[in-house]
Amino acid sequence: MRRAMKPRLSRRSALVGGGAALAAGLAACAPPNSGEVNAAPTIPAADGKVHLTYWAWLKDLQKVCDVFNASQDRIHVDATWIPGGNSGGYAKILSAIAAGGGPDIAQVELRQIPEFALAGAIVNLSRYGFDEQAPKFDPGALTQAQVGDTLWGVPQDTGPVATFYNREVLEGELGLAAPTTWEEFRETAGAVSEAGKSLISLDPSDGSHPIAWAMQSGAVWFRPEGDGWIVDMTGEASMRVAEFWDGIFADKLVGTGYGSFTTPWYAAAADGKVLASISGSWSDALAKTVPDGSGKWAVAPMPTWPDGYASGGHGGSSAAVASNSKHPAEAIEFLTWMCTDPAGIDAMIENSGIGWSPAKDYIGEVRKQPDEFFSGQNYNEEVIVPMAEGQNLDWTWAPLMQRVQAIVGDGMTTAVTGEVPLADLFADAQTEIVEIMRTIGLNAEEAR
Amino acid sequence: MSTADATTTARRSKPLGNAARAARGDGPSGRRDAGRKPTTTIIVTAILAIVAIYFLVPVYWVVVNATKSTEELFGSSGFWFGENFQLFENLKAVLTANGGIFPRWGLNSLLYSGVGSVLATYFSVAAGYALAKYRFAGRKIVYGLVLGGVLVPGTAVALPLFFLFSSIGITNTYWSVLIPSLVSPFGLFLASIYASAAVPDEMLEAGRLDGVGELGLFHRLSLPQLVPAIVTILLFQFVAIWNNYMLPLVMLADEKLYPITLGLDNWRAQTDRLPEFYQLTVGGALLSVIPLAILILVLQRFWRGGLTEGSIKG
Amino acid sequence: MRSRTAPWVLLAPFLVLFIGTMIVPIIMAIGYSFTRVERSGLLGEAGIRSVFAGFDNYIAALTNVNFLQAIGRMILFGAVQVTVMIVAATVLALLLESASARWPGFFRAAYFLPYGIPGVIATILWSFLYIPGLSPIVDVLGAIGLDVDFLGPNMVLWSIANIVTWTYTGYNMLIIIAQLKSIPGELYEAAKLDGASSLRVALAIQLPLIRPALMLTVIFSIIGTLQLFAEPRLLQTMSAGITSEYTPNMSAYAFAFQYNDIGMAAAQSVIIAVAAFLLSAIALGVSNWTEKRR
Repeated sequence: MRRAMKPRLSRRSALVGGGAALAAGLAACAPPNSGEVNAAPTIPAADGKVHLTYWAWLKDLQKVCDVFNASQDRIHVDATWIPGGNSGGYAKILSAIAAGGGPDIAQVELRQIPEFALAGAIVNLSRYGFDEQAPKFDPGALTQAQVGDTLWGVPQDTGPVATFYNREVLEGELGLAAPTTWEEFRETAGAVSEAGKSLISLDPSDGSHPIAWAMQSGAVWFRPEGDGWIVDMTGEASMRVAEFWDGIFADKLVGTGYGSFTTPWYAAAADGKVLASISGSWSDALAKTVPDGSGKWAVAPMPTWPDGYASGGHGGSSAAVASNSKHPAEAIEFLTWMCTDPAGIDAMIENSGIGWSPAKDYIGEVRKQPDEFFSGQNYNEEVIVPMAEGQNLDWTWAPLMQRVQAIVGDGMTTAVTGEVPLADLFADAQTEIVEIMRTIGLNAEEAR
Repeated sequence: MSTADATTTARRSKPLGNAARAARGDGPSGRRDAGRKPTTTIIVTAILAIVAIYFLVPVYWVVVNATKSTEELFGSSGFWFGENFQLFENLKAVLTANGGIFPRWGLNSLLYSGVGSVLATYFSVAAGYALAKYRFAGRKIVYGLVLGGVLVPGTAVALPLFFLFSSIGITNTYWSVLIPSLVSPFGLFLASIYASAAVPDEMLEAGRLDGVGELGLFHRLSLPQLVPAIVTILLFQFVAIWNNYMLPLVMLADEKLYPITLGLDNWRAQTDRLPEFYQLTVGGALLSVIPLAILILVLQRFWRGGLTEGSIKG
Repeated sequence: MRSRTAPWVLLAPFLVLFIGTMIVPIIMAIGYSFTRVERSGLLGEAGIRSVFAGFDNYIAALTNVNFLQAIGRMILFGAVQVTVMIVAATVLALLLESASARWPGFFRAAYFLPYGIPGVIATILWSFLYIPGLSPIVDVLGAIGLDVDFLGPNMVLWSIANIVTWTYTGYNMLIIIAQLKSIPGELYEAAKLDGASSLRVALAIQLPLIRPALMLTVIFSIIGTLQLFAEPRLLQTMSAGITSEYTPNMSAYAFAFQYNDIGMAAAQSVIIAVAAFLLSAIALGVSNWTEKRR
C-alpha cells in the first residue's frame, strides 16, 4: 500500500495561512453602507406596468393597496407585514437596504425619518417634485416629515394630543372638570389623588410624553442651521415643562407604575381607578376597549400653557421611499393617493386603524359622526381638529431619535423618584446628545 | 473536563453485575438501601410535589385561560375558569387568523427543527467520532476552535452572518435559518466523549482486519453504539432550534417564513394596539406548548436511559 | 493501517458549516469593531465614509455607563441565579434519586417539561403571571396584604431570573441525575455497612462524584447568562424597569439594529465573548484546582 505523500502541516505555514485569512477578512470588513442615492440622478417614471413592495406594520394594509390596484393598472402594490419599528421592524428595513435589497416603500414613524435619512436608507422626495403635493397635506403632518426645506417621507398619520377621560367618574362622581390649563391639571390631579384615584398613569420609561409636552410648550429641541444642528433642551419652553412635572412627581399627583393602554391600565380604568389618558388621537380606538366603558368617556383638549401651542404630537407614521427602489416616482404617486385622496384615507381608517388623517381638510368619513362610546360627542370635529391645527410647526426631529428617546426615558425613571429631576435631566441630555451627534459625524452645538 | 473520570467509572462498573444494574437505573432494588422510613417518604414526596406545582403553574395557567374571552381574561381570576368556555372558538380563531398563518408557522418550526436537528446530529456525531477515534495532526486545534466558537454570543455572529448571507442572496429564505441550525458544537463534544467510551478500538481494528473501509466502520459498526448520544443530541438540537429567537428575528422579514416563536412574539407585540391579540397569543401559546411537551415527555425516557449506559458525563 | 483522510472526511461537513457560520462572522465582527462611520452635511448627504477607528469603539464601550451597568447587572444576576438554580437542581436530583421518593418518573417529567417551552413563550406565559390585573398570583398575594410588583424596576431582574431558573432547572437536574446514576452501587453498599445516614452519603459520596456534571452545568449557565436577550427584551414593553440596554447582549443589539452603530455593536459583542471565555476558563480552573487539593 502506497503511502500518500502529504506535506506536513508546519507551524509556519499554518500561521501564514491563518494570517492571510485574517487579513482578508478584516479587509472586507467595513460594514456595508447604503449607497448615496440622493447624490445620484433621479430615476424617471417607467413606461409600462410597475410593481411596488411596501413593508409596514399596519394591519391589513394589503386591502388598502388593493383599492389602489383596482383603480388603475399601471402600478401594482403588494404589502408585507413586518413587526413594529421598535420591535424589530426598523432593524429589518435598515439591514435589508444596507445589503442591497429591501422594499420600495417602508413605514417609518415621523420621528425616525431623519435617522433613516442619515443612514442613507431613504430617498429625498423633494428631488422628485413632491413639494408640489404639499398643499394637499395637513401642515402639522408635513412639517414632521421635513428637515430644513427637504421632504423625506409622505406623512401617513399623526397623533395630535388630546385628553381622553372617564366623564362618568371625573365629572359625575367627583364633580371635577377636565383641565383646560396645566395649572388646572395640577389642581384636578390633586383632587383626584385625594379621592384615592389617579388622573393619569405614566410609564416613566416612555420618552415620548416629555417630547410631546415640550413640543406643545413651544420648544424646538433640534434646529438645523447651515449644515449643523443646534440642540436646545434648556430653553424657557423646555424648562417650564421640566419644572412643572418635577412638581407633579414630587407630590405624587399621578400614577407612575404603568403607561396608558397597558394591561394594568385597562384593569384600573375598568375599575374607575385611572381616569384619563393624555395622548395621541389614536387613543380613541384603544380607549374603546376599556371593558364596560361605552357611554362613559369623553374627549377634551390637551391642557395648555398661557402661551405656546394648543397641542403636541404623539406618534404618527410616514411612508418613506427606500433608497434601493427602482420606481420612486410611481411610489410617490401611490402614496400621495393613499394619504390625501378620500378613498385612500377612508380605506386606511377602515382597514388599518390609522391615527389622525394627514390630508388637509379631510378627516375621514366615519370620523364626522358623533360617537356613542364618547358620550355622543362628535369629538373628532370638535376636539381633535383644533388640536391638529394647533401644532408646533417649527419642531424638527433629530437624526438619532431612538437614542434621544432612550436617554429621556431612562432619565424619566430617575426623575419620577426625585433622584434626578427633569430640570437636570434636560441639561445633561442636551450635552450627551451633542456628544453623540459629534461621534456619529455630525456638526452639533448646544444652544447658548 | 474529566473524561478520564467518566471512562474509568465506565470500565469499573462493567464487570460488576450489581453496579451495572444500578447504572441502568433499574430502580432502587439492588442499589443502596437508604432505610426507607415512611415519614421520610412523605416529607420528600411532599417537597417534590410542591416543586412540581411551581414548574407546572404556567402550563396550568395557559390551559385554563385559553378557554376565556378577552374581557374574562382581565375580569376573572387567572387560576380558574371564567363563565364562558370558549376554548374551541379561541383555537379556531388562532388557526384561521390572518389567513391561517399559525399552522404555517408551526410547519415552519417543524421544518427548521426537524431537518435541522437530524442533519446537525449526523454532522456533529461524525465529527465527534472522528475527533475521538483518530489521532491526527490538527486535532487539538479543531477542539479549541469549536470550544471558542461555542463561547461567542449570538449577537456577535448574527449581524455579520446577515451581511454574509445577503451577499449570497439567501436572506429572508428558509436557508438563512436552516444553515446555521446545522451546526451543533455541543453535539460534537457529547459525541466525542461518548465515542471514546462506547466505541472500543478493538472493535474498529477487527473491522479493519475484515476489510471494512473507514466510512463503513463509522456507519455500520460505530453508529449503532452511539445511539444514546445520537438521541440526546437530536433532542437538544431540536429544542435549541425551536427555541431560537434571535436568528430568525434577524434573518427573516416575510411573515410566511417565521417559526412559531417569532410569530407569537409578533402577535404579542400587537396587543398594545389591538387587544384582541391577547386571546390569540394565549391560544397560540397553548398550541405551541403541547407538541413540544409531548416530545419532551416521550424522549425523556430515551434520554435518561441512554446516557447512563456506559455512564457518561464529563 | 489508519487512513489519513478518513477523519477529515468525517469532519468536513461540520467544519465547513462551523467555519462558515461562526468563524467567518466572528472575524467580520472583529473587523467591524475597528471601524467608525464619518458623515458630512446635515444628514450625511454630503458623504458617508467608513474609517479605521483603532480602539475607539472599545474605549467608548468600556466607558459607557449603561454598558458597564449592564455588565454589573449580569454579574449579580449570574452569581445569584446560577447558584440558586444549580443548588436546586442538585437537591432535586438527590431527592429524586433517593429511595424515599415516590413516582420519580412523573416528577422528573414535570421538572423537565419547562425546558421544552421556548424562552419566548415561557416569557409570554410568565408575563401573564406578572402583570397586575391579569395575574392570579398578584391577586392572591394582594389578598393577604402583600403588594408585589413583579415588573417594577427593583424586582424585574429577579422576575427574569425566575423565568430562567424555571426553564433550565429540570434540564440541569437531568444532567446531574445521569452522573448520579453512574455511581457504582458498591460505594453505597459500603456506606450502608458503615451505618452512614442519607445526608452523609450525599455529602461524602454523591456530591464529590457529580463534580464533572456540576462543572458542565455551571459553565453552560454562565455562558447562558451572558447571552441573556429574549426574556428581558420581551418584558421591556411591560416593565418600566427594563431599558433598551439592560443586558450586554441587548445593548449590542440596540447599537447594531436600532442606533445603526455597527462598529460599537461589534466591539460590545467582542467584549461579551471575551468575558464569557474568561469566566469559563476561571470556572474550569477553580474546579481543577479544588480537585487537585482533595
